Amino acid sequence: MDELVWNVDPNADAPPSKQLVLRVLDALASDRLAAGAQLPSVRQLAARALVNPNTAARAYRDLEQLGVVRGANGLGVFATEAGPRLARDLRRRSTLDAFRGAASEALRAGHAPSELVTELSKLASNAKRPRKSA
Amino acid sequence: MNSIVTLQGLVKRFGGRSVLDGIDLELPAGTTTVLLGANGAGKSTLLRLLLGLERADEGSIRVAGLDPFHAASEVRRRVGYVPDQPDVYDWMSPKELYGFLAPQYPRWSRELEARLITRLEIPHTTRFSALSRGEAAKAMLVAAIAPQPDLYLFDEAFSGLDPLVRDEVLAAFLEEAVLDSRAALVVTHELDVAARIADRVAVLNEGRIAVCASMEELGGGADSGALPRKLKELLGDVLLEGSAVA
Repeated sequence: MDELVWNVDPNADAPPSKQLVLRVLDALASDRLAAGAQLPSVRQLAARALVNPNTAARAYRDLEQLGVVRGANGLGVFATEAGPRLARDLRRRSTLDAFRGAASEALRAGHAPSELVTELSKLASNAKRPRKSA
Repeated sequence: MNSIVTLQGLVKRFGGRSVLDGIDLELPAGTTTVLLGANGAGKSTLLRLLLGLERADEGSIRVAGLDPFHAASEVRRRVGYVPDQPDVYDWMSPKELYGFLAPQYPRWSRELEARLITRLEIPHTTRFSALSRGEAAKAMLVAAIAPQPDLYLFDEAFSGLDPLVRDEVLAAFLEEAVLDSRAALVVTHELDVAARIADRVAVLNEGRIAVCASMEELGGGADSGALPRKLKELLGDVLLEGSAVA
């Protein structure tokens, strides 16, 4: 848990609490945070991310609502059993949306569908590279 | 909401000039308010009034329900104050300072004191005169948190520190200064710090509160990103308005 990076960039366009939500989802989806693993308390999270505790609490409320953590108000915050799967689903959903958006734009710009299929095949054959951790 | 500090129509004059010219401000329990303002805007005067070091010319000022000027020692026991420069006997070590302060604060926690000394690696037996700026700032933070005050008052406490030290001090404040039933007022000119720790931002300009808004109100939604930029815009507007009026 301690190797997880909680940095928040206050200059980024995404709100700090949403940045924290994405960090946790990413850690769960990439197996750096396992089902049942304990997360920092609200205050610990605030200190590590250098954000207001209310911002940290808001991030945990959203994550609880998403079903990936539980116990945000109790003695500890834990990843739920379904957490890693849900996080992967959520990530797949958003990446698929982004892919559809990019593909539509490419089609509108005049690329032939076959061109895009070729590009996709190339990407798929390169995708065996090890995942870079954030 | 339960307010730790309530200021109404506060006026303070020095030699006929109104340094504070009708301040209305509430610091609700559970929140950190960051006070921004140019040099000479009246920030230090406001802090001195809150600490009971000055007497208001008009208006009322309540800290935990008390008038700081008339109940100065009672208010001091309820305020954890970090000045911009350590205002301590520099022949004392942090350990001696805490031993000197603890009996004056009914809720002083020796456990919290010890935990913070360890966490911040404070050379607590070294005299203040031999401490670095960063070490002294850390030592002063302990003196503000260990009393478990109703009000934390920080005057540029995070300024002029090495960035790593600043982050350590910020983290200790965020984790150890429990705000549930308390409030914090942080004077700073560092917008990055303000954006990270503020629930609310108040801008003091020409002796008045020009803006007082929650981060949600400033961001136009739930906590919004790009806050330092927004604060800079906000502050720029206020200072421009102020100079246009003057």
